[in-house]
Amino acid sequence: MHVVPLIVRFGDEQYRDGVDIDPDQFYARLQETDVHPTTSQPSPDVFATLYKTLLSDPQDQVVGLHISSKLSGTLQSASLAAREFDSGRIHLVDTESVSGGLQLLVRAALDDIRSGDTAAVVAEKATRRRGRVTIVVLLDTLTYLHRGGRIGRAQAFVGSLLNVKPLIAVRDGEVVPLARPRSRAKGIEMIVEQVRSCAPLRSLAEFHAAAAESMVDLEARVGAAVSNVTAVLGRIGPVVGAYSGPGGLGVACLGAD
Amino acid sequence: MRSTTVSATKPAPELAVLREPLREIGGVQVLAGLTAALSWLEANQQEINDLNVFPVPDGDTGSNMYLTLRSSVEEARDAPTPEAADSVLAAAAHGSLMGARGNSGVILSQILRGFAQGSAQRVQLDARGVALAMTEASAVAYRAVMKPTEGTILTVVRDAAAAAAAAAATTEDIRVVLDRLVTEAHAAVERTTNQLQVLRDANVVDAGGFGLAVILEGFARAVGDTQPAAPAPALIRRSGEPALHLPPNPGDMEATGSAVARRGAAAVAPREQGWGYCTEFLISGPGLDVDAIRTELSALGESALVVGDADLVRVHIHTGDPAGLIAAASSRGRMSKLNVEDMSAQHHDVLERADAREAQAEASGAAAREQPEAPPKPIGVASVAPGEGFREIMGSLGADSIVSGGQTMNPSIEDLLNGVRAVNAEHVILLPNNGNVILTAEQVDPLAEDCEVRVVPTRNLPQGITALLAFDPSASLEENCDRMLAAIATVRAVEVTHAVRDTSVNGHDIKLGDVIAVVDDVITEVGSDYLEVIDAVLNAETVKPELVTVYRGQEVSADDAEAMVASLHEKHPGTEFELQTGGQEHYPYVLSLE
Repeated sequence: MHVVPLIVRFGDEQYRDGVDIDPDQFYARLQETDVHPTTSQPSPDVFATLYKTLLSDPQDQVVGLHISSKLSGTLQSASLAAREFDSGRIHLVDTESVSGGLQLLVRAALDDIRSGDTAAVVAEKATRRRGRVTIVVLLDTLTYLHRGGRIGRAQAFVGSLLNVKPLIAVRDGEVVPLARPRSRAKGIEMIVEQVRSCAPLRSLAEFHAAAAESMVDLEARVGAAVSNVTAVLGRIGPVVGAYSGPGGLGVACLGAD
Repeated sequence: MRSTTVSATKPAPELAVLREPLREIGGVQVLAGLTAALSWLEANQQEINDLNVFPVPDGDTGSNMYLTLRSSVEEARDAPTPEAADSVLAAAAHGSLMGARGNSGVILSQILRGFAQGSAQRVQLDARGVALAMTEASAVAYRAVMKPTEGTILTVVRDAAAAAAAAAATTEDIRVVLDRLVTEAHAAVERTTNQLQVLRDANVVDAGGFGLAVILEGFARAVGDTQPAAPAPALIRRSGEPALHLPPNPGDMEATGSAVARRGAAAVAPREQGWGYCTEFLISGPGLDVDAIRTELSALGESALVVGDADLVRVHIHTGDPAGLIAAASSRGRMSKLNVEDMSAQHHDVLERADAREAQAEASGAAAREQPEAPPKPIGVASVAPGEGFREIMGSLGADSIVSGGQTMNPSIEDLLNGVRAVNAEHVILLPNNGNVILTAEQVDPLAEDCEVRVVPTRNLPQGITALLAFDPSASLEENCDRMLAAIATVRAVEVTHAVRDTSVNGHDIKLGDVIAVVDDVITEVGSDYLEVIDAVLNAETVKPELVTVYRGQEVSADDAEAMVASLHEKHPGTEFELQTGGQEHYPYVLSLE
């Protein structure tokens, strides 16, 4: 598996997600700076270079699973690069997902590859599977999502004079508002309800953005609600963290096939 | 100071087309053009960033285009055959693809790639060659995008290419072709505002399209030392205080004088137009004439929203002259909550709202929406509230219209009906927020001819706020009513007031002036001060609340309220307290327990 990093920028400084900057460095930076980070899709050239390496054997094919095209231009870059190669050798999928959800789809695709599926079948299964992914995230603030222009229909939650913890979901590839719990504990309860409503599960991911303490709480509560699946635990990486902001906490569920 | 009159030793810009025709350009001129385009783009980078209203990848259009073109120019400088147009353009195209960032950068790279493809095998480009290359640039750019959208950089490149092709059919002078191309590019940029809803709502031009026009203009100037024959009418409309963002090019400036200034102003004009200062305030009555205030103040700015009633009017206007606006408003009544923001600093927040009606609802805060011509939305909320603070909070939570009233001033059915009409929705949820208003509210539905009205029987303000928090504009009327009903069951309301007479209730002997707490319509505690009574209420709760929101009434000062909340926090360390300004009369404190 090859990971093509997106890019996060603080003013003129730019970093490849997970290559030049890790979550600890990113959130530390986010706390100390007034500069709002911005992000970029990888350039088509990065994909072209990778495809060239991966396709050196004429038998080989590529399956590309990418962030929702409504949230990032990554797929656009990838498809531009793919145009330079024989059609049929590169299979690109708009996962309509991001972060932990994308990770679950990649893991499932790796299972398919191990069980002998062809590239075309792997891509087709991933496309079908994306509809069974649920991503729910509890944010501390909508500021980052709003300033980053990815707020989607959660726009309706902006501007509250009361202190609320927005609960959002990624649905059909874009951000939608779910609820406005007034406390983090209530928000975590709502996340657990969402996880329950996705059962039976194939896999589950839990992730946080510099919110390790709440993550412990989330793990315990989700663990009590869902017994047959072991959760993959992770962090929200820099590029997505630029939109969730610190304090974000969430789950991704993949419903059983 | 630079003279704006044209030097007698230089040809007047209008005469540019009368000079010796420029029939061919080679690699050196192309590189000069690209280099100039880069400095133009750099000079306008921030303006382009500021125009970025799309909630799509990736944020900084100006920076992305600049970095893309910079990579292009760097590679073009090292072209293997610097005197050959095709060699320089092929290098430029390759460089731009290498450096493409963001959607606009990627499309720009495709434009350059198309231009290079259209110039293949040509050491020199003639007028027709330039037009042909532009046509190819447009075609390649369109192919690069999965779902081409009009009103973007694509429209600009296509229209500019068409103008170039038309010009090349009638002249061999590259200057004339580039003149027409640049003029049309700017005109196309102006048109984008009306081609995309999000741009129309924000009243801006497309950032990527504008970036391309800037690039084309920079290129044309250096290659042809050229001027558009006449500025497009739209540019005249947008002329005003010229804000020059010209790249350092003294020779060019000297040669073309005022025309440069005009084009320079045009390059940044879209940002200048219509932004100014976002000015918001409240005017307090009594006896305000809303219509007269609206007429007077609307004339002083754009996007005016003047709503309210005889007691309170909320004003939201974009104006270039906030001082004049404030002067006019202050003669009408007492002003408060004045907020003036430079929109260039806050435009992202303002412009990114995809739905103008949402933006308006939010901007109007607690007030009713105007614009009777707007089509009704599927579902909205009208809410009853006393006090400025509650109006604002409810507005911020998405109430479309607020009807004044509550504990001491119950609204009439007509008040409620007007509030419901102001929502302008097919389905309206009405929140009475007071036990004495519920029945009145239930009379509204048969009277409202254009919409279905459903009352969620909220008995107090905390319930009303909880109901609003549960509102989901994408859900149906039924779903929303169910969500709200479920939500209001989770909140307990405490209303603290003074007894207005001696009495005995619930085993409590109550004297005139005693502090009493009403918990969900039942008097539960009596005492002599607020802290004592509220503390007793919290101690009596069988389930400790996680969060207590304290709404301070009109008669309590902010300092007193803060001190009281601090004491409560000390006494109840496991509970979170949040203090808000409710502004309600007669009830010094209203609390919600969750």
